[in-house]
Parts: sequence; structure tokens; C-alpha cells
Amino acid sequence: MWEREKITQPAPASPLFWRLNADVYQLLGAKCPDCNHITYPRRKICPSCGSFKVEDYQLSKSGTVHTFCINWTPPPGLEPPIVNVIVDLDGGGRYQGLLTEVANPEEVQIGTRVQMVLRKVMKDRGLDIYGYKFRLEKEG
Amino acid sequence: MSIRGNVAVIGVGMIPFGELFEKSFNDMAQEAFMNCVNNVDKGFDPKDIKAAWFGQWSGGGMIGQGVLAGTSLATILGLRDIPITRIENGCPTGNDTFRNAVIGVASGAYDVCLAFGAEKMRDKPGVESLVAAGGGGGGILGLHPSWMLGMGGPVLQALYATRQMHELGYTMEDYARVAVKNHHNGVACPYAEYRFEVSIERVLNSPVVCWPLHLLDCCPQTDGAACAIVCRADLAKKYTDKPVYVLGTATGVDYQDMWDKHSFIEMLPTIKAAKAALTMAGIAPNDIDLAEVHDCFTNTELMNIEDIGFCKKGEAAALLKEGYWNRDGAKPINPSGGLKAHGHPIAATGLGQICENFWQLREEVGQERQVKLKNGIALSHNVGGGGFGVSAINILGREP
Ligand SMILES: [Zn+2]
Repeated sequence: MWEREKITQPAPASPLFWRLNADVYQLLGAKCPDCNHITYPRRKICPSCGSFKVEDYQLSKSGTVHTFCINWTPPPGLEPPIVNVIVDLDGGGRYQGLLTEVANPEEVQIGTRVQMVLRKVMKDRGLDIYGYKFRLEKEG
Repeated sequence: MSIRGNVAVIGVGMIPFGELFEKSFNDMAQEAFMNCVNNVDKGFDPKDIKAAWFGQWSGGGMIGQGVLAGTSLATILGLRDIPITRIENGCPTGNDTFRNAVIGVASGAYDVCLAFGAEKMRDKPGVESLVAAGGGGGGILGLHPSWMLGMGGPVLQALYATRQMHELGYTMEDYARVAVKNHHNGVACPYAEYRFEVSIERVLNSPVVCWPLHLLDCCPQTDGAACAIVCRADLAKKYTDKPVYVLGTATGVDYQDMWDKHSFIEMLPTIKAAKAALTMAGIAPNDIDLAEVHDCFTNTELMNIEDIGFCKKGEAAALLKEGYWNRDGAKPINPSGGLKAHGHPIAATGLGQICENFWQLREEVGQERQVKLKNGIALSHNVGGGGFGVSAINILGREP
């Protein structure tokens, strides 16, 4: 786990700020009505075309693996191998993160179905930070 | 004033790249600058430099020093009476620093400018390196708590490499072949960090850093310094009878975040920079005799070759197998050894490529590794920065 210096002052990791933010756990992204680009986290200006008219867009928690790699040299605190993925979410938009609960990295391929689960992802100034990871979608 | 043909390179200098524990940042910088000044054909007085741009990526963090700004270079090089600006633009810092110096001359503001880059990356242990510690540090980025998890330079490119294999049919053997070629080139280059051959088997048997990339698919982190002096083309003959001219220069950007990208088999920053630089030069990729392209990882070289336009998407690996990109092939790519063998001291990398192209165009590298020149045109390229979202390209030619 990432361990930064112990907490001494209000920080972005403060639980209230973190939990109330709609981007983080509700997965609110943004969609541009001018070019249809979907991005996450939300932005006020479309990164694709520069439009100021972007609207909130609810991302889905399931999707398919667009690309992945099997990282045998992760940063300190993570046990290798870890599987980094970029997922095409159902309904549009992409999410980058880690696979969890994979017994065998060979189980993952481009196109593999995955779904998000909430997991502890790191420590920041002494606080646990939760976030989404992906696990293989169960059959049926 | 247009840029093409109006700006000349009159001198370059660098130090051999490597793991230079015995040299400080200042040592490296001063040696590269002295090599540059002392090797201008007809002599050069540093007081002729009217402005400088200082390429520096790590900001001194890797050498336990505060921020390295313009004032740092002024002190190190004894250039206290000119404006000096620091450039940080990811891995393209070196080529972008050169571009800024070129614009300084082309604008008419300054007759002579210095483009300088230096990086000390090996004073940190491997565990705190880019490979292990994540490209740009860990922790929270904006409101996306997960994306940085387990990140690092090799992850960024491995995510591309997997997709290249899926869409283009590339194999790990294709990637290994890039390392074989560039290590072979590095053996003959006196400035290269790694001067040993590798075989396909050795690459494929090296530890997996981040599947599908092995240790020998990755470039090293390197200490190094390199620089170039540019001036008004009509003043160049005062300094040398063999100036090299700037034909095109460009920087291209695109999305920073990996999940916004439209494709993982091409990089739009490179495509945009290449188009702009080639248009400025008024040439096609085929007119270029040799190129130094950004091979931070072996798969990246194949992608860049295609993105610059030296061949169609998906053809680079087959051409590599035929020897097309070899030093004695139809289109030599990375005759210096590339980042893979020559090393990657980030801000010095692009300027090191420019040194190599300057010497190749002036046919000064010695018979063994001199590439055949037809049009006398060479290209240098980097891509990198956040999510590989920035690219910079410079095209040099023997004729204006
Ligand atoms: Zn848009």
C-alpha cells in the first residue's frame, strides 16, 4: 500500500471530502453533447473538442478488457504479479485500474468480461483509501 | 521569418551517457558544454550566445537538489547575462528545448541560442526509479483513486504492446528484434551506455518486467548531458563551413490520460508532430536518410516508425526482420543505439539524438557506423510525458 507521511492537516484524503464526491464512488463521468466523448473524472471542458457544454454521465460498473499487462515489478507495497487493465465500460467510457482476485493472470485476455468491486486501494497520510478494482465477471 | 532553412546548427556536444556516479550534475553539464564550444570548427566565444533554453525533466529531485531553473544553468555554465528558461515537457524535453532555441533565432529576437539538456537519474536506487516507483509518483490524481495503482513507465507501454500484438499480430520476438538491432548499433557508438550485443533469446529469457515486456525490452535510466548551438543561417559560416540546417521542428500533444485515447496502436502526438515538421520541411518521410526515434521500449520503436510515416501501420516488424531499419539498411533507425542502448537521460536524450544526427550528416562518426546519405536529411523524435501525450520532432538537413 502507498504510505505517505502521517496526516497532520486536512488533505484530499479526508474521508468526508472523498465520500461525498460523486465522481469517486458514484462513478459520475462527463459526456460531451458536441462530440459524444465520454471522460472520467468529470471535467468542465471536453478534452476531446473543447466544448464547455459537457454533461454528467453515469458510468457503468461492468465492461470488457480493452488492454492489459501483467506487472511483475509493481511499486513497493503491491505483491507481484498485478494485472493493470483499461476497461471499455458498457455504455461507453473507459476506466483504468487493477484486476483483483485473479488466481492465474492467463485468465485475462483482451475482451474478457469484468465488473467493478470496492476495495481498499492505498493509504494516504494514515487513512485508508477505497476505490474500484475489477474482477472477472462470474459465468451466467 | 519562416523557420525552414533560416536557422543553422553550428556546434553540438555531449558526454558519453551512462551510470556516472563519479560525475555530479554540474560536471556533466560543464563537460557537455565545453565539448560543444571547443568543437565549433572556427572557434566559438560563449559570449555570442544571446539566450538559452535549459531542458530538465526531474527538477533536481533525483539528485536531492532543489528546483533546477534558468539560474542553475546560468551558474553552471557561466552564462549570467542572458535570459535562460527551463523547459520540462516529459521525455520530449530535449527535442522541445531545441525547438524553443530554434524559435528564439527564427523570431529574430536572438542571433545565437543554446539548447541544453542534462539529467542525473542514477543517483537514486532502482527501487525508487521510474520502473518501480511509478511514472511521476504514486497517490491520488484528481478524483480517480485507482488509475495510478501499480503504474510505472513499463506499464504505460505494455498496455500499448498488448494491443499491438492483438491488432497487428506483433509478437514478443518482434519486440526483441528491436533490442537486437539497437544494441548492435550501440556497440559501435562511443557515446552509448550499453555497448554489448543481445540475441533474441537473451531478450526473451530476461526477466519479465511487465508482460509482454522483458527487462531487455526496456531502455535504461541514465545520467547524461547534451547540447546544441543554433544561429541565424546567414551567420553560420562565421563559425563553420559545414553548418547543418533546421528544416522542420514541431511539438504535438494529445490526451494525457490513457483511458481517453482513441487507440493503443498509434500515438497521435507523434502523428501530429511528424505532420507539422514534415510540412514545414516540405518533404515526405521517404526523403529522410536516417532517424533517431524514441525506443524507450522496443514496441514503442515499431509504433513510432509507423506513426512518423516511414511505413504503413503494421508493417514495421516485418521490415525490421528484413533488415530495412538496420544501420546499413534502406532506412537506418537509431544508428546511435537509440534509448535502448545509448541510454535515456530524459532531457539530454533528444539533444543527444540531435548530436548524432549532426555528426551523421557531417559524416564524422567514422566509417563503421556512418549511414549512407542520399538527401542529407535526418530526423529526431521523442514521445512521452503524461500518458505519452507529448511528442517533439526536429528535422535537420545538410542544405538549407
Ligand atoms: Zn467534445
